Amino acid sequence: MEVTRIRALRGPNLWTRHTAFEAMVRCQTPEQLKLTSAFESRLRHLFPGVGPMRTGDGKSHTTMAHAIESSTLHLQIEAGCTVTFSRTTATQEQGLFQVVVEYSVEQVGKLAMQLAIQLCEAAANSGHFDIDSALQNLRQLDEEIRLGPSTASIVDAAINRGIPFRRLTEGSMVQFGWGRKQRRIQAAEIDSSSAIAESIAQDKELTKKLLNAAGVPVPMGRPVEDAEDAWRAAQDIGLPVVVKPRDGNQGKGVAVNLKTKEDVIGAFNNALQFRNDIMVERYLPGSDYRLLVVGDKLVAASRREPPLVVGDGKLTIRQLVDKVNADPRRGDGHATSLTKIRFDEVAINRLKEQGYTAESVAAKGTRVILRNNANLSTGGTATDVTDDVHPDVAANAIMAAQMVGLDICGVDVVCESILRPLEEQSGGIVEVNAAPGLRMHLSPSFGKGRNVGEAVIQAMFPDGDDARVPVIAVTGTNGKTTTVRLTAHLLRTSGMRVGMTNTDGVYIQERQIDSGDCSGPLSARSVLMHPDVDAAVLETARGGMLREGLAFDRCSVAVVTNIGKGDHLGLNYISTVEDLAVLKRVIVQNVSKNGMGVLNAADPIVVAMAAHCPGQVTFFALDSHHPVIATHRAQGKRVVFVEEDQVVAMQGKMQVRIPLSAIPVTLGGAIGFQIENAMAAIAAAWAVGISWDSICAGLATFISDAQAVPGRFNVFEYKGATVIADYGHNPDAIKALVQAVENMPAQRRSVVISGAGDRRDEDIREQSRIIGEAFDDVVLYQDDCQRGREDGEVLALLRDGLKGAKRTKKIEEIRGEFSAIDMALSKLGKGDLCLILIDQVEQALGHINKRVSNPGEELVV
Amino acid sequence: MAFQDIQILRMCYLRGPNIWTYRPVVEAWVDIGELENHPSNTIAGFYDRLHTLLPGLVEHRCGIGERGGFLKRLQEGTWPGHIMEHVAIELQNLAGMQVGFGKARETSGRGVYKVVIRTRQKEIGIAALQKARAIVMATINNTAYDLASTVAQFKAMVDRMCLGPSTACIVDAATDRGIPFIRLTEGNLVQLGYGAKQRRIWTAETDRTSAISETISSDKDLTKQLLSQCGVPIPQGKIVHSANDAWQAAQDIGLPVVVKPIDGNHGRGVALDLNSQTDIEAAYHVAINEGSEVMVERYIRGDEHRLLVVGNRVVAAAKGETATITGDGVSTVEQLIETQINSDPRRGEEEDFPLDTIRLSEHQHAVLELQRQGLQAHCIPEKDRVVIVQRNGNMSHDVTDQVHPEVAHVVALAARIIGLDIAGIDLVAQDISKPLQEQGGAIVEVNAGPGLLMHLKPASGNVRPVGKAIADHLFDPKQNGRIPVIGVIGTQQSSLLCHLIAWLMHLNGHRTGLACQDGLYMNQRQTSTQDARRFDIAERLLINRAIDAAVFETSALDILDDGLPYDRCHIGVVTDMPTPQGLDIHDVHTPEGVRNVVRSQVDLVLPQGAAILHAQDLQVVELADLCDGEVIFYSVDANHPVLKKHQLSGKRTVYFRDNHVTLARGDQETLLFHLNMEPIAQLLQKENIQLPTLLAAVASAWALDIAPLLIRAGLKNFGKTPDDVAQQVARMNA
Repeated sequence: MEVTRIRALRGPNLWTRHTAFEAMVRCQTPEQLKLTSAFESRLRHLFPGVGPMRTGDGKSHTTMAHAIESSTLHLQIEAGCTVTFSRTTATQEQGLFQVVVEYSVEQVGKLAMQLAIQLCEAAANSGHFDIDSALQNLRQLDEEIRLGPSTASIVDAAINRGIPFRRLTEGSMVQFGWGRKQRRIQAAEIDSSSAIAESIAQDKELTKKLLNAAGVPVPMGRPVEDAEDAWRAAQDIGLPVVVKPRDGNQGKGVAVNLKTKEDVIGAFNNALQFRNDIMVERYLPGSDYRLLVVGDKLVAASRREPPLVVGDGKLTIRQLVDKVNADPRRGDGHATSLTKIRFDEVAINRLKEQGYTAESVAAKGTRVILRNNANLSTGGTATDVTDDVHPDVAANAIMAAQMVGLDICGVDVVCESILRPLEEQSGGIVEVNAAPGLRMHLSPSFGKGRNVGEAVIQAMFPDGDDARVPVIAVTGTNGKTTTVRLTAHLLRTSGMRVGMTNTDGVYIQERQIDSGDCSGPLSARSVLMHPDVDAAVLETARGGMLREGLAFDRCSVAVVTNIGKGDHLGLNYISTVEDLAVLKRVIVQNVSKNGMGVLNAADPIVVAMAAHCPGQVTFFALDSHHPVIATHRAQGKRVVFVEEDQVVAMQGKMQVRIPLSAIPVTLGGAIGFQIENAMAAIAAAWAVGISWDSICAGLATFISDAQAVPGRFNVFEYKGATVIADYGHNPDAIKALVQAVENMPAQRRSVVISGAGDRRDEDIREQSRIIGEAFDDVVLYQDDCQRGREDGEVLALLRDGLKGAKRTKKIEEIRGEFSAIDMALSKLGKGDLCLILIDQVEQALGHINKRVSNPGEELVV
Repeated sequence: MAFQDIQILRMCYLRGPNIWTYRPVVEAWVDIGELENHPSNTIAGFYDRLHTLLPGLVEHRCGIGERGGFLKRLQEGTWPGHIMEHVAIELQNLAGMQVGFGKARETSGRGVYKVVIRTRQKEIGIAALQKARAIVMATINNTAYDLASTVAQFKAMVDRMCLGPSTACIVDAATDRGIPFIRLTEGNLVQLGYGAKQRRIWTAETDRTSAISETISSDKDLTKQLLSQCGVPIPQGKIVHSANDAWQAAQDIGLPVVVKPIDGNHGRGVALDLNSQTDIEAAYHVAINEGSEVMVERYIRGDEHRLLVVGNRVVAAAKGETATITGDGVSTVEQLIETQINSDPRRGEEEDFPLDTIRLSEHQHAVLELQRQGLQAHCIPEKDRVVIVQRNGNMSHDVTDQVHPEVAHVVALAARIIGLDIAGIDLVAQDISKPLQEQGGAIVEVNAGPGLLMHLKPASGNVRPVGKAIADHLFDPKQNGRIPVIGVIGTQQSSLLCHLIAWLMHLNGHRTGLACQDGLYMNQRQTSTQDARRFDIAERLLINRAIDAAVFETSALDILDDGLPYDRCHIGVVTDMPTPQGLDIHDVHTPEGVRNVVRSQVDLVLPQGAAILHAQDLQVVELADLCDGEVIFYSVDANHPVLKKHQLSGKRTVYFRDNHVTLARGDQETLLFHLNMEPIAQLLQKENIQLPTLLAAVASAWALDIAPLLIRAGLKNFGKTPDDVAQQVARMNA
């Protein structure tokens, strides 16, 4: 058995909407191709949780690939991951399978797959596999990397609202939304929380000063000089008081509830042993409460108790703590709803204060406190009291948060009862906390859990805002780039700041921020991450979809220009047009419910995708009477077609007509495929609500020259002849070009063509066959880059295609693209037409430009 | 014969606008004793000694209003109180605290003066007066005085206690725009504006500077990842695990490269500008010994620059410089650094100097830089050899005007991506006037809370108004951070008047704070029962973010004790002129003296505000001329001559006509309500409201643009709880 390639599909993909790993598994031996029952029982013995192994068609045999599939899935499930999808598919190659298994955390899924391979190998070789430690590793890794409960609650709320998210770190920093709508959180801290507010919250004295200024009850106090001053301060503040070292920790030198001069002075002298700077502060009697304020609302409240055990008259305190810690809800860190009680020096000291040791047996019913503070992280408990909070107390907490300037704030209150106003019971606010833990509200030890994540999302995004910007995904065999550029131009004309990816680069507004083929998910993601983007228009090529899946969970509009006879067939186990359609359909399948599929009605394979679109569909076609158009139109749905030299957009009674003469990219309607591209772009812009004025203005100002859309039907004039440069490189593209060129008057027609080596033989032959029907002269050239072909192989195929050509009289062969261009140009006369099918787009266009701007120059061929 | 020491009888700090000036001052009472008989011109050599000790005194214009004014007074003869004032101000100036205002006035006691100096920090002002006494006495008695150590001591105090230069430049710019400020801590946390309109700054951080963004900016890798994703050029890097790996990475990234340990110390083990496989592999072995992992990064050629982004705009740019020495074949590296670098007068140890002195003992980077060139401190570079001592030292050459628009765009974008409203962006480029792309420049770091000093004190080029840029970022041009502030002074029912005004503002939809004799109130809820006329209690209203209007009662005594708690007000009400009774402790004994205190209430009225003055008190009427804003007179007597005259010039007045409370603009009258109207009559009786008080309340409300109908309704319901009002509505509905 051999696993040749493992890919993480990080977005919706060919197989599933979920994130998944895809592995190529080659089964070599008969045992691997047909699992034996002995193997299966060994496997089940090593990993009893492996689950059923099924082929999905009920006919073929289960193979080693299926064993790996099931093991990978079930290892994750046993480790606590929420995954369900897996699938194994045979390829055309004998014994080679694609295994796809969903993951929730990429690193965990990857490890699960590696472990599954080891497991299956062990089962095959009657070897050993330590399933317990494997699962332990997976669990640990999952706990380390998956989001903590506070962050997860916010992310879950976002998911419920349909807000897309992306983790920025392995920690708790998460980004919600796209483009200019993006917002960030880090645990329970949101991007609008200011650093100044957090600094204020950390300065207890300043916090108290600000709260006091707003009339919020706080335990006022002041630093004191000496014992006498301490008593003076106590009288100013009002008894009872607390005496404590400033910034003292763990309660050392703290004395509470002091009522007499004697006590205050005694406490002062005692505190001096720990620190020099001593504070006297008003004493607040009662329990610790934590109130959670989000925005201008109180969303949850808990009463917190320090870690404690209740004596039973039998067990020692140590045993009681062990018993409490045995509760499965108590974990070691922050990942579980409660944390184990720490039985450390601090706890022992606290016991000593109460007259116990670890081995004491406390009387039945006695509460033995193990720590002064009521933090969950040291083993404390929390009881939900959200519904009990007196409105005045809530108002105080909200005011406290606002005075400090925190939009998510944990307010610590000490009072006898949260049911009554603080002023009535000398309660007060003792501290405010930025980035408060949410665990105690999500899953309190006692009482109802509160959906605080939802409140956080609510504070960041108003109702109905899913933080998305319109995303238009464009795919197809031909016309993608022009459609993308034209759509982006229409959106820009309406005033949107548009991010665009295509095979030439990534663009934000007029700026190119990356170059080269940028039709993959990496580039799409960089558009969605860009803070200036109001809308994204993304060319979505097959390569990226296969490699990594989509960059987005769903899109507003999916445009499929055409599939035709396809392109790049035979690569990556996509061998037929049908396979290709299934792949390209992925963007249509992931249109949002209120989104739009924009589909070419003239291409039956594309039409069939309509059934897979969760949103509405707009069909477009040149032929107004095409049955698909006619039916769709009759149903009152959106259609775009051509009638009387006008592009017509129609839905029910509404219709808009745009003369072809007002769409320069169609050359007044002469270029059929450009009309199709324009219709696709019109439908896409219409789908995202661009006004018709902007659409018409955009169509009128879009010029398809070598500058705006390099390599897409760029028209030049050379010595009175027309020269057209295009990047067409498959039979459909060439057919469309021929049709367009035939609409242009010319004396003599010539063409310059090479063939891309990575196409199938038949596709290369087909290209020159089409050429032979339409051109008088043909210049064939071969470049250095033959994409895996032998020298001369491609030329031979092209020559083959020209055999028996109806029109072609003259065939010339030459090495090098520039030489080929020069040769064709040198033969042009007034009124001739020459189509140059360029390969190295930028360089070739540069060369043509040079020639066109110096027509007088003698060409040496 | 030596003169006896001047006695400082008491000193107090007036925190708010006071009888001397709008700004905080220290007021000292000094007894000069027998020196009363010895003005400066009579003490032999005194003038020359003082002038020599403090030559800066020549800049003091004093009453004469020209340079050298004070020196002239010294020569003509003036007394030690006045001299102490100028010496104390000069001391503060020498310590770097710019202040100018001072006054010295005789009191009723012989030889006792009130000496007042402006200060920006209470403790420093107090110390300055004490030291001024010592200096004046030493100069009079011709004894030695160590001025240098006093100045050094004051410099240290200014450094420790005053706002830092970055914060100060923002506060100063805000002050220039009429935006008030309150310092919230002894540190650099400052509130600009009042109440709900306030913004906060902490050095160059604002209350909108996101904490998460700061976390991101302090994580270099995450910063680079986010920037590069949006097309911002950064030095691409890769962690490598072997020498060969390093060479592979270098080829992927593109030469030249930097090889460095990811967690190294002081640039140890860092090798720059590597081009060959041999060098890169060698550098790997050096680096791996200095850290846990090794990073290969694109080497960015050029100088380091710091660009300051404020609210999406680049507002300043500074360039670092590479310090070099040129060998003469004789001197050591260390000597050359002294003669060729440290001799630059712009270099010094203190913050004041735009450039640092370079000491190899302290600049580890410089030592390593030299090591890379095969040199140590004691080496003698051959003649004409140029040796780099420090790359990108202080970034203090202003290049703001040269920044290419594309660079500015990408830098502002970087701040936006990280999410910082104010950011200092470090970038390396050979020429900042060209786009980064074409020169391979890159952004290397994004800093939150950037220092502003380099833009304020550049070693070359222009000073940039970065404080103004930040103030403008915080407050758009139409805002000045103010909420309506109403001040009331007088002895007749002034607390009650404040309650009436606060009630009407409350009904008008303002979240209103009230500080008066019987306590502190927020939105009609009492939050303190202490006398809230005291400065520190009253000031709470202005700190409270939940308040968008504030009413203050004040008294002459409070103004004399602390100054007023606000810098300016919209409405200043004076109901009557108090008597001097109880003001003796401030040496105020006469009606003239009282007037000088009470006038502050009218002085502080903003140009767009109004003074509400009682026409029937002649002394109050006389304050009208001091008001920058409008004046509204009120009087029970509709025919009072002051009222009549005011009306004739078309101005606003409030009075009774035929038992109606009447608002008049010129001769255009609006009858507001009849006094016998039942709820009003009840109110007047129940609350014992005197008629002038009622009129003052109505006039203030009118000046605050409260609609007459609402004033009427409000007065009818004054003092009632919401329940009372609800019942009344229910009755009406029935």
